[in-house]
Amino acid sequence: MAGSGPMLEVKNISKNFGKVRALRSMSFELEKGKILGLVGDNGAGKSTLLKILSGDLQPSAGQIYLESKATRFKSPADAMKKGIAIAYQFLELVDIAKVWENFFMGRELTKRIGPLAFLDVQRMKYLTAEAIAKYGHTFDIEREVRELSGEQRQIIAVTRAIEANPEILLLDESFTLLSLDGRKDIVNFLGEVNKKIGITMIIVSHDLELIKTLSHYIMVLRAGEKMFFGHTDKISIDQIVKYMLP
Amino acid sequence: MKSARYLFGAVRAKSMEYYTWLLFIGIYLATGLFVPTLFIPATFLNVLVQGTTVGLLSIGMAFVMLVGEIDLSVVAVASFAPMAGILAWEIGLPVPAAILLTLLVGVGVGLFNGLLITKLRIPSLVQTCAMWWMLAGIVLVATRGMAKAGLPNSWMQLGRVFIGPIPLLVFFFIIVVSAAVIFARRTVTGRRLYLVGGNSEACSAMGIPVDRIRIIAFMTSGLFSALAGYALSARMGFVSARFAVEWLMPAIAAPVIAGLSLTGGRGNLINVVAGAYLVQLIVIVVRAGGVSGYSYEFVQGLLVFIAILVDTVRRRVTGL
Repeated sequence: MAGSGPMLEVKNISKNFGKVRALRSMSFELEKGKILGLVGDNGAGKSTLLKILSGDLQPSAGQIYLESKATRFKSPADAMKKGIAIAYQFLELVDIAKVWENFFMGRELTKRIGPLAFLDVQRMKYLTAEAIAKYGHTFDIEREVRELSGEQRQIIAVTRAIEANPEILLLDESFTLLSLDGRKDIVNFLGEVNKKIGITMIIVSHDLELIKTLSHYIMVLRAGEKMFFGHTDKISIDQIVKYMLP
Repeated sequence: MKSARYLFGAVRAKSMEYYTWLLFIGIYLATGLFVPTLFIPATFLNVLVQGTTVGLLSIGMAFVMLVGEIDLSVVAVASFAPMAGILAWEIGLPVPAAILLTLLVGVGVGLFNGLLITKLRIPSLVQTCAMWWMLAGIVLVATRGMAKAGLPNSWMQLGRVFIGPIPLLVFFFIIVVSAAVIFARRTVTGRRLYLVGGNSEACSAMGIPVDRIRIIAFMTSGLFSALAGYALSARMGFVSARFAVEWLMPAIAAPVIAGLSLTGGRGNLINVVAGAYLVQLIVIVVRAGGVSGYSYEFVQGLLVFIAILVDTVRRRVTGL
């Protein structure tokens, strides 16, 4: 499969909401294992693009290719089945539930006792601790999520999203809760994840500093149009800002 | 030395977890000093037996509270469901089938409530209030305002049979409540009730069928209301329109005393049983204490209010 073309190809994707043209014939390619940073002002079309890639929205026109195969994501579940995982802005965690409960929510493990299926709590706890430890972190999985720091919450959301071994991980603005130190931790963590499992990532953020350190490629959007796509080294933060502003 | 301190800490944590039971036992012993009959075994058994009604109703209520909803129709189901079972028996259904029908009617009402609340987005407070009113009205029509007595003997066995000195009803209650606790704690659906109550949007995003979980909560509440109605009718020997209606407020108060969050997602069903018994104890003590008929409801309400107040302050202080 290696070298058989890009992991993801987006070709002439448009999305209209009534008269509003949220995306205008957008095209780009992304190789396997690379991180793409997606930046732009509010309303530039970042979220719309992400929603199309995660199956939440259908494009008005255009085509998506996954490993050179034309694909449509009919729903988030369909996209997930085809190897797309997403961690949202608000991380989709239940604050008053424990770490391991959040980690396995929606895909709980059970064991059978006679005809009945009961939760396999021990195994879920063990696997949660193991998954988090894999990227060099340890924290008490018995604690409620609300007691954790922003970066710990981020780590749970991301490790949970990549549990199913997706091909592509989409991260939507999930860094807004972080402290300066926390941000550094997350950059290291995501870099580690990317290296360790060779996962392709698309990251949306307003934090240009973070995007610049983490991404291999950067794409700048403005009013639904692609203003720049290129290697991170080829663009400075000042230039990114220039592209973002009208 | 260190291990002793650790043990003490663990015991303290555990005892805080089951605080409602400590509260119940403490109040029982304390009021026993003023109402000495509480220390007679027969009175104690009486508390246990009478508490089963509010116990079953509050367990049902607790399930809907876990998903952040409320079910005001519990007391109406508790009279409507056994009424349906008895009417079916009168036209020839055998008693076991009539009991099964009673439970199915409870589940059916819960299903109907749940569907309207999730699919039409009617607030549960409004939907279940209307349901309460309607069902109570139907029972009134069916009984023409009279209590329906003359229930078959096998129907009433649950309320009349003793195993040794202990009524069968107490064992029945323990089994049913254990099943509810295991369901809530140890099954996928039970855990999801807590998660949906905690953050339903996050649950949807993670692929949990939120509406179905909410509907199951209402069906469980319907089932437990029907169980409460069946057990009460077996004990009293009749069904009527006003049957169990005085237990609505206690059934709401008990889970709250037990620390269930009204916004959902939190709470221990074992404590709900203690909360129910605490409310039952208050009712019995107020009666036994010779409070006059007119101020009786006020005193009950006041004591429940104080219990909730104490518990709320405790939770503020301990941060639980």
